[in-house]
Amino acid sequence: MRKFTIIISILLILLISISIFSGRSNNLNEATSSGYSKISARAPRVIYWGSSGDTVREAQRRLKDWGYYEGSVDGIYGPQMYRATRQFQRKHGLTVDGIIGPATANSLGISLGVSQAQTTGVTRDDNVYLLARAVHGEARGEPYVGKVAIAAVVLNRVENPSFPNSIAGVIYQPLAFTAVADGQMNLSPDNESLRAARDALNGWDPTYGCLYYWNPATATSKWIWSREKVIEIGKHWFGN
Amino acid sequence: MRYKKAIIPTILAIAILATGVWGYNQYRMRNYYEDQLINQYQRIFYDMKDNVETVQTSLSKSLVSASEESDILLLSQIYQQAYFAHDKLSQLPIGHENLAKTEKFLNQVADYSYSLIGRYIKGDKLDDKERQTLFRLQDYTEQLTAELQEAHDEILTGDLTMFKIREGEKDKIGEANEDILDAQMQKYEEEQMTEYPELIYDGPFSDQVLNVEPKGLGEDTVNEKEARKIALDFLGIKNPKDVNMFNKGESTGSSNIDAYTFSITPDNEGESIIIGVSIQGGKVVWMENSKEVEDKNISEKEALKIAKEFLDENGYTSMQANYSTKYDNSILFNFVYEQDGIPMYTDLIKVKVSLDDGEIIGIDAANFLKSNHERDLPKPKITEEEARDNVRIGFDIENVRLAVIPDRGNNDLLCYEFSGTYKGSDFIVYINALDGRQEDILQIIQDENGTLMM
Repeated sequence: MRKFTIIISILLILLISISIFSGRSNNLNEATSSGYSKISARAPRVIYWGSSGDTVREAQRRLKDWGYYEGSVDGIYGPQMYRATRQFQRKHGLTVDGIIGPATANSLGISLGVSQAQTTGVTRDDNVYLLARAVHGEARGEPYVGKVAIAAVVLNRVENPSFPNSIAGVIYQPLAFTAVADGQMNLSPDNESLRAARDALNGWDPTYGCLYYWNPATATSKWIWSREKVIEIGKHWFGN
Repeated sequence: MRYKKAIIPTILAIAILATGVWGYNQYRMRNYYEDQLINQYQRIFYDMKDNVETVQTSLSKSLVSASEESDILLLSQIYQQAYFAHDKLSQLPIGHENLAKTEKFLNQVADYSYSLIGRYIKGDKLDDKERQTLFRLQDYTEQLTAELQEAHDEILTGDLTMFKIREGEKDKIGEANEDILDAQMQKYEEEQMTEYPELIYDGPFSDQVLNVEPKGLGEDTVNEKEARKIALDFLGIKNPKDVNMFNKGESTGSSNIDAYTFSITPDNEGESIIIGVSIQGGKVVWMENSKEVEDKNISEKEALKIAKEFLDENGYTSMQANYSTKYDNSILFNFVYEQDGIPMYTDLIKVKVSLDDGEIIGIDAANFLKSNHERDLPKPKITEEEARDNVRIGFDIENVRLAVIPDRGNNDLLCYEFSGTYKGSDFIVYINALDGRQEDILQIIQDENGTLMM
């Protein structure tokens, strides 16, 4: 009996110390491993559908050499390259998302950093990607025009004095977007969201200048119902 | 036998203990994160309070000041500090409904100061009306400072959490104590800001720029049926498979352009096309075909020809392409309206052409409809040679022409447009054709998808 107690106590102490340590390290990683495949926030560090440039060309060359890619090495990430990338990722046990991030780039043997340093700096690519993530988080399952509309609302807010004056400021404003608050916007945007973001940045605005949207089925704020509706697109109402 | 009996309770005990330890750790980490977040918010709050106070004192000083130099310095301080305050305010977890007016106020204070600095530098003096406006702004800022001070005092007197971190934490901190700042901002906006007047000046955030009436729509209004016909004619579709209208709100003028929006399915295959037709004037505001373009079969030149012909057919005959950008296997052309051969850069129509079959897959004429009207252009008061003297020496001029560009308040400015290079970079310099002032400089950033065509 004595022996048994001792063994149990030792086991317990061991377990507690393990759980303390593992508990701590788990917690510190919480922000980066909450179940979503997190992606780098800076767009040029990843290559995705619609990317272009020397790094894309290099990736195409490698994918072609190894027989994954059959298109032309033109430096533009299109549908064929998407399929090739996914196939490559599947073969190499990487996350199959068609996005060449650090891990995939590493397996391909290309560097995402070097050719970045050569570009001259000013670019709207980061904004496209950020906007696309917000659109993807807020409007998954909506028709394409509904996605452009969400992106347009973000851009209308940037132009309006009652809101922050930058795209990041608007998207990350506390209490503004649920998909930002619950981390859904950290999912990788799909091609449609990227297209929608680009269209909105190029000027398309299906909402005719709206600053707000809400889902009439789920909106609980009394205040939002005092807004004037301008148009209904998909599940969302857009208004001012 | 005795051992066997003890096994299950022991395992359970260990499990419970382990869960407890794990839970405690989670709890500790959660508190840690919350503290960090609150610290961050506290810092933003104190910084913002300082910014607002500086704005207030600078505004007061500018009212007393009789010296132009110190006026300019004070105004630039107001400009900077008001933007800081706005930026920080928008980072605090306060509901937008309690914040919108104050954000707008701070933004306008900054923007207004900036426009006044511009006037000073041009040699204009502030008139009585502008002094009055500054005086009123000072008043509102004083109230805001008082409100922030009150919030601060409340936070100090109690052991209170300053912000609601998340929904559903109401039980943790007594309801009466929570959201001090939220409540304070609400009180401020309800009591002080309702009377806040419209601010008219030359700047992007001024009320006359925000509430601009579209100039290019025309007089008559169309009903839904007429709009539907306009849309189908515009797209050249005779027998659509399906036409649906998007539900719209009562027309109250809260949108930029009041319009009917249709979703048109031309035939059994292919995506539906979305198109908006303005109620006033019956003009196509925008159009978009959401089809995904997978191939590239036609050249940019062919695409440009298609886009130009399309605009001509629809009555937009004085449009010149001046910029194109390729994305998603399609190409987007910016067309600028030309009056007497002079481009009006405010009157833009964008046309998107798919590069697989040359179909028009997007039109955006909203900007054109907002600003296009027959203009009474002034005659240039200085010659091209005189304007050339005001361009930096060493700027290698490749092309000169007249052009109309918008100023900060969206007013037309007739300028000489000098495009060229300086130290290897491409620039466009605009020199006012009436007084020879340099109005704007654009730097052209080349990338492999964009082409400037001028």
